[in-house]
Amino acid sequence: MPVVNSVYRHREAGSPLVTLAEYEAAGGYRALRKALLEMPADDVMYQFHRSGLRGRGGAGFPMGRKASFLPKDSPLPSYVVCNGDESEPGTFKDREILEFNPFQLLEGIVLAAYAVDCHQTYIYVRGEYEHQARVLDSALRQARAAGYVGDDIAGSGYACNVTVYRGAGAYICGEETALLESLEGKRGQPRLKPPFPAVAGLYGSPTLINNVETLAALPPIVDKGADWYLSMGTEKSPGTKAFSISGHVMRPGNYEIVLGDTTLRELVYDLAGGLREGREFKAVWIGGSSTPVMGADKLDTPLDYEAIAEAGSALGSGGCIVMDDSGCIVRASLRLAHFYRHESCGKCSPCREGTNWMEKILQRMVDGDARMEDLEMLESLFGRISGRTLCPLADGAIAPIKSAINLFRDDFVRVIENGSPRPEPMLEAVGV
Amino acid sequence: MSDAPAPKPPPTDLVRFTLNGRHVYAKPGSMLVDAAAEVGVEIPVFCYEPRLGGPIGACRMCLVEVEGMRGLQTACSTPVAPEMVVHTDNAAAKDAQDGVLELLLANHPLDCPVCDKGGECPLQNHTMKFGPGRTRFVEPKRHFPKPLNLSTVVALDRERCITCFRCVRFSQDVAEDGQLTFQERGAGTEVATFTGEPYEGRFTGNIIDLCPVGALTSIPYRFVSRPWDIKNTPSICGTCPAGCNVDITQRDGEIKRVTGRAEPNYAVEEGWICDRGRWGYPAAWSAGRITNALVRGEDGLLHEVPLEEAVDRAAFILQRSAATGVLVGTDATVEDGHLSAKLAEALAGGRVGRLGIPDRPHLTALRNLPRAELGEIDQADVVAVVGGDLGNQHPIVELRLRKLLRRRGTLLVAGVRPQMIAPRATESVRTAPGRLVDALDAVERVLESGSRPILIWDEADLANDDAAAARLAATAEAAGARVIELSAHVNAHGLRALGLPTGNILDDIEAKRVATLLAVHADPTEFAGSTEWDAALDQLNDIIVVATHRSHITERADVVLPALMKQEIEGVLVSMTGRAQRLRPGSDGPEGAAAAWEILIGLSHRVGKPFPWRTPAQTFASVAAGYPAFAGLTYQAIGTEGAPIGDADVIPVDDTDPPRPLGEGLPLVLTTEIFGDATSWRSDALASLRQQAGLRLSPGEARRQTVTDGDVVVVASPHGSCALTVSVDERLPDGAAFVMTGPPGAGTHALLGADFGPVNVRIGA
Amino acid sequence: MTAAEVREHIDPIRHEYADPRSLVLPALKFAQTRDGYLSEENLEAVAEATGYSRAYVESVASFYDRLYLTPVGDRVVSVCVTLSCMLRGSDEIMAALAEHLDVGPHGGTSPDGRITLQESQCLGACDKGACIQVDAENTVGPLTPAEAVALVDELREAETPAERWR
Repeated sequence: MPVVNSVYRHREAGSPLVTLAEYEAAGGYRALRKALLEMPADDVMYQFHRSGLRGRGGAGFPMGRKASFLPKDSPLPSYVVCNGDESEPGTFKDREILEFNPFQLLEGIVLAAYAVDCHQTYIYVRGEYEHQARVLDSALRQARAAGYVGDDIAGSGYACNVTVYRGAGAYICGEETALLESLEGKRGQPRLKPPFPAVAGLYGSPTLINNVETLAALPPIVDKGADWYLSMGTEKSPGTKAFSISGHVMRPGNYEIVLGDTTLRELVYDLAGGLREGREFKAVWIGGSSTPVMGADKLDTPLDYEAIAEAGSALGSGGCIVMDDSGCIVRASLRLAHFYRHESCGKCSPCREGTNWMEKILQRMVDGDARMEDLEMLESLFGRISGRTLCPLADGAIAPIKSAINLFRDDFVRVIENGSPRPEPMLEAVGV
Repeated sequence: MSDAPAPKPPPTDLVRFTLNGRHVYAKPGSMLVDAAAEVGVEIPVFCYEPRLGGPIGACRMCLVEVEGMRGLQTACSTPVAPEMVVHTDNAAAKDAQDGVLELLLANHPLDCPVCDKGGECPLQNHTMKFGPGRTRFVEPKRHFPKPLNLSTVVALDRERCITCFRCVRFSQDVAEDGQLTFQERGAGTEVATFTGEPYEGRFTGNIIDLCPVGALTSIPYRFVSRPWDIKNTPSICGTCPAGCNVDITQRDGEIKRVTGRAEPNYAVEEGWICDRGRWGYPAAWSAGRITNALVRGEDGLLHEVPLEEAVDRAAFILQRSAATGVLVGTDATVEDGHLSAKLAEALAGGRVGRLGIPDRPHLTALRNLPRAELGEIDQADVVAVVGGDLGNQHPIVELRLRKLLRRRGTLLVAGVRPQMIAPRATESVRTAPGRLVDALDAVERVLESGSRPILIWDEADLANDDAAAARLAATAEAAGARVIELSAHVNAHGLRALGLPTGNILDDIEAKRVATLLAVHADPTEFAGSTEWDAALDQLNDIIVVATHRSHITERADVVLPALMKQEIEGVLVSMTGRAQRLRPGSDGPEGAAAAWEILIGLSHRVGKPFPWRTPAQTFASVAAGYPAFAGLTYQAIGTEGAPIGDADVIPVDDTDPPRPLGEGLPLVLTTEIFGDATSWRSDALASLRQQAGLRLSPGEARRQTVTDGDVVVVASPHGSCALTVSVDERLPDGAAFVMTGPPGAGTHALLGADFGPVNVRIGA
Repeated sequence: MTAAEVREHIDPIRHEYADPRSLVLPALKFAQTRDGYLSEENLEAVAEATGYSRAYVESVASFYDRLYLTPVGDRVVSVCVTLSCMLRGSDEIMAALAEHLDVGPHGGTSPDGRITLQESQCLGACDKGACIQVDAENTVGPLTPAEAVALVDELREAETPAERWR
């Protein structure tokens, strides 16, 4: 169960790396100097490709391939955009990078920009991370002053600007085209795809969009080489991944692990300190709230993309929410349905109306006002929404609820019959 | 080369694909929804509307299955590809259609029985064809207070809204007025304006036509009819010379509504119309409408008589008269103009003329350049607008120009008025009155820079600026630009093509060569030169008027023959781009009135020189046979889409002296605002939007003239004077007096001479 | 907030965006820092400074949770009510604060106008659950209901900063 800290370099250093001196002392900016001064852009791109690094925002699409989709002969400028709109319930891994290791993100985004011949990048930080955005602002000022951002970076002649852009409170802006809309000063509503951002993204220009964690993983890959990264993890899930774990565990927090080497059980019981005394494991939303819920029978699933998929869920963003047997699955489902109803942007009909309807049905169940047919109707509703929307939000809303009904049907039946009393929450104040 | 028609393009130019098991063909690049429609397969849509821009994929109504593609695809955004296999009616597609409708109906109040859209509602129609048999939604529906008046003409019922984006996209992306938006998000999304202010603009009514449900409705049409009680007739707006195609809705012979064409005419208005055109129709029953014939009695007063009697009386006068002038007004149809000319020919000492701007030689040079249709602006890369105020006077043109700018074309706007599109234009040059010539270097540069340039020029402004007109014609020709004329009057192009001269009748009255006037849709006292005309009318023995509304001249007439309005008649108008288009009766009109063509034919019979034509179609056939510009055209050829006429054989006025401003003081710039014309003042529906006559001055000019906002002043030119209220407008330049014409009777026309020549005015107490 | 003040804030960053529309969101965020919400006047200032219509900027503002179109308290306290925090007692915190501040069960502004309590969706601080956030600047947790009440009382006593980013 090896724990590594390649994106959480501050953990290895034992303290936050919020000054340039601290970051450089921890090996920071070696990779950028190496890339800009010694490597043609194509070689840097090759390293990304070869590393097999998969997008850490949730979809898990190989980062190098995504970058290769940008047309080389576009007359328009290209952009690299960092998705720091981390809003997936249960996920807080990017927050830690922004707050304690901002330079690694700055180094990573400039590396990515260099590889795709881009000179203007944006880091979109969710509005609720004002504190983290300020840390990033400060890091950016230092990096600019030291010549790691701006014209002639590290004396290489390469120029790249980084702009920090603040969101204003909308989960949907984590969806890449909604993020672009928001960054363009609009309502954050997803765009029809195609065209994909790689071809027509920000301001209609070729755009590479990557998650904070993905970009922060680039400096060590360039520094130590893709082969080093490949040496960790499984064939299809190489490298490390930060998991955020929360809910009914004793030591909630972020843990960076080598993919495939650690099981869910180890994450929950060893790293996160297990459950409260006398409580049984009930359920886990393993890859953020938009992934299917799993029961105790899946505790021995290794944490990598393929194994989790095989177990019936998805690694997603790595936001792992654990619920013990004090919790009510119907209440939990309602809370998530509420979230997605609140966050639906309203652009496409099935999501706008469907998330609204789903919440209402679940509310009736929890209130004891539902009939047994409502369960069937809810399930048929999933089929009327799923796969028919403009963006994945509604599918994300359905996944945890549909799986909950499949897995814990008896609980739903019981709640429909009797309603659900509010359970005692876990009030133990347990720090990170 | 043989003259045989080109063979039908071989199917290889098209893409073959399979639709519901049938091999069909489509134009490469067309979206599935359009490709299917071409071969008669309906894929239901709500948000898809190419006139608003690219597909947005919001409503999800058009989901279809494409074999080999994961999940269902939106047919609005999926282009056809060779050998694609598409299902729009298999179980998956049907379930998607049914499913989207069930979700849309979940929060839709099923108040169809009291909804104006009922019966012509895409949501209702799609539900019948593709939709759920029942709804399973038992929760309370989304509730908003019932309709909100977005303005005095548009009502918004938010409960019915299905958030299809059409109206907000129109406001943001077509009219670009920026006023209508979505507020909030998710299930709480609602259409709204800034803090609930009214949605006021010049094109707002188009959102009613666009709305696929009953969320946006016309207040004047509210609860007026049900679709099964009405009849829609394709016609022409005819309020301005642009020639927008419209549909007229009638019930029991009465006009109830005007909408954009359901089948847009892409050469002209693209289905959009302005609010004046949409809500001008109640002018038909305004207080001044003449519903019965009038004859002046021995008591000196006008008395209602049956139409027959009035026509007899008129014929008697005409027969008695030794010298009759027939004056054709700007609203007359081509048939009216032709019949007027023929009647003048038939009468002793008869002569015919029209109201309008004299055909100065340099205007003819501009008119002889190759013309463009409005729709061809969509293919232009640069457009220069010289003079005029098209946003007010030819509003629909502005939408094309906004579109040009959205697709990154170049637009130069030059002239003396603060044009509404100017802030958006690539370049804008403000000139002093009569000094359009100062903008021509820029115009030349811009036109030369394009590969498909279009010049849009204003008749009224260029008529007064010979130097500019001459150079502009040469510039446009050298640049290979095609031209669009912004005519000053509705059917000016058509009446000019009939060879009807301007100015002659007034001269003839003044020279006592005419003693009787027959005015056909013409009130020269509400026209440039009204002072001179006023005096001229005094010299006449008899005045016969064919008119729709009471006005200054009807009060002075001996016989008033009540005419039907444009929406009540058959006839041809030629738009400013030279497109002959057909008016069709969308309403019966007052029982006591008749179409001008019918009155004129009747008069020909009564004066013993009967015309051989009995219908407008026959009359038009005679026009086509008699005038080269109309050669080959028939009613059938014009159809519902219109057809361009040929070049007219116009003999320019014999006037080679450049027009020189008369009088002293400030140069006068006369402007008619969109809601400041007679139609707006006659239509109740536009009551709250009407724009008054007035004098507008720049702040600097107001100081120089020692006047301020709200002062009532007398504006005097060598031709006449009128009292106007001052308003100070920061958008205006110093050194000019901007006069807004305002309602009939405002007297602003007195400031101009009958030749429309430039004048200076003095401002006094 | 005047248009000139908004312009002063966005002009230095104007060159970073190929389309000035991108300045709308930064302008809106800034425009509410003083009054705490986007009054009609603040929206008008943003519209004027950015060149977009008032309806447009209001429409953008209304899309985002953290742009406020109606007056809010001197400080905005957000209680995360999403799943992780719910499991750790956020409903109890919400209930305690609502009672303490004399506002409705889903939030509102305290009668003294000092504090607006609101439910918030996942704040990305589940490791600190149950957590609350003060404006957008400071996220605190884990908290018990009593600790949350104490924190809000402290806030009530403290001076309101001149500029609040929420």
